[in-house]
Amino acid sequence: MLDRLFGGDVLVATTKALDASALRQQVIANNLANVNTPGFKRQDVQFEDQLSRALAQKSNPCAPASSVAIDKIRPCVVTVNSTSERADGNNVDMEMENVNMADNTLRFDALAQSVAGFFAGLKAVISGGK
Amino acid sequence: MSIGTSLQISASGLTAERLRLDVISNNLANVNTTRGADGQPFRRQEVVFASRNGGGSFASALSSARGGGRTGDAAGAGVQVVSIRPDMGRDFKVVHDPGHPDADAQGNVKMPNVEPVVEMVDMISATRAYEAGVTAINSAKQMQAKALEIGR
Repeated sequence: MLDRLFGGDVLVATTKALDASALRQQVIANNLANVNTPGFKRQDVQFEDQLSRALAQKSNPCAPASSVAIDKIRPCVVTVNSTSERADGNNVDMEMENVNMADNTLRFDALAQSVAGFFAGLKAVISGGK
Repeated sequence: MSIGTSLQISASGLTAERLRLDVISNNLANVNTTRGADGQPFRRQEVVFASRNGGGSFASALSSARGGGRTGDAAGAGVQVVSIRPDMGRDFKVVHDPGHPDADAQGNVKMPNVEPVVEMVDMISATRAYEAGVTAINSAKQMQAKALEIGR
């Protein structure tokens, strides 16, 4: 009961997503900083698929014991070697990085607003709605 | 893993692109310089960028040791200029101008190997990369401001 009052898995998942979003911002900033570095390969952050797997396993009572708990998942940086359309071997696409950055910023804002709303609700409960 | 790191990374990109712009400006300023440092005409310079590796920090080693699981690659830590080197791949342009003070016996003058068109294209590329870095910094600032609103 108390665990649910203080957020439980939802709050943990949201803060994890905030962490992932901050890391993604860092990775995109690095991709943009290296847009003119020969041979540089862009990096990406994998997180959402891990989170959805963890959430699906949580709601499934028959999930194996080896399944990953929500508080154990962590965002993972991967280097994308597949595509290169430039002669210097660099595969950073500035438009795509900018779109990803705008998307990531909005996502971070939404998550931060959700966490802030949760704490505002908690505050209202503690003060008895006064 | 913090927004401050994003700012540092973007700042390294801005520094590198500005230095590149400085070198381009120097090339353009010396487009007609026939007396360089070694008595030869001015030779075009170019910057060499290299990505900075972010794997070596204590924090990343600690987090990978604590996590134990799949850690993936280390996130990069920006860009750096490793050298400014003379462009040896392009020869000096030879112009016939007998009135020039540096003309040889046949009236030919060796001019710098600077191509203004190439420099202009490089300049646009550097400016766009700089703008992208500024956008990334503004984005990181916005995220940081939003995070500060949590618990207010």
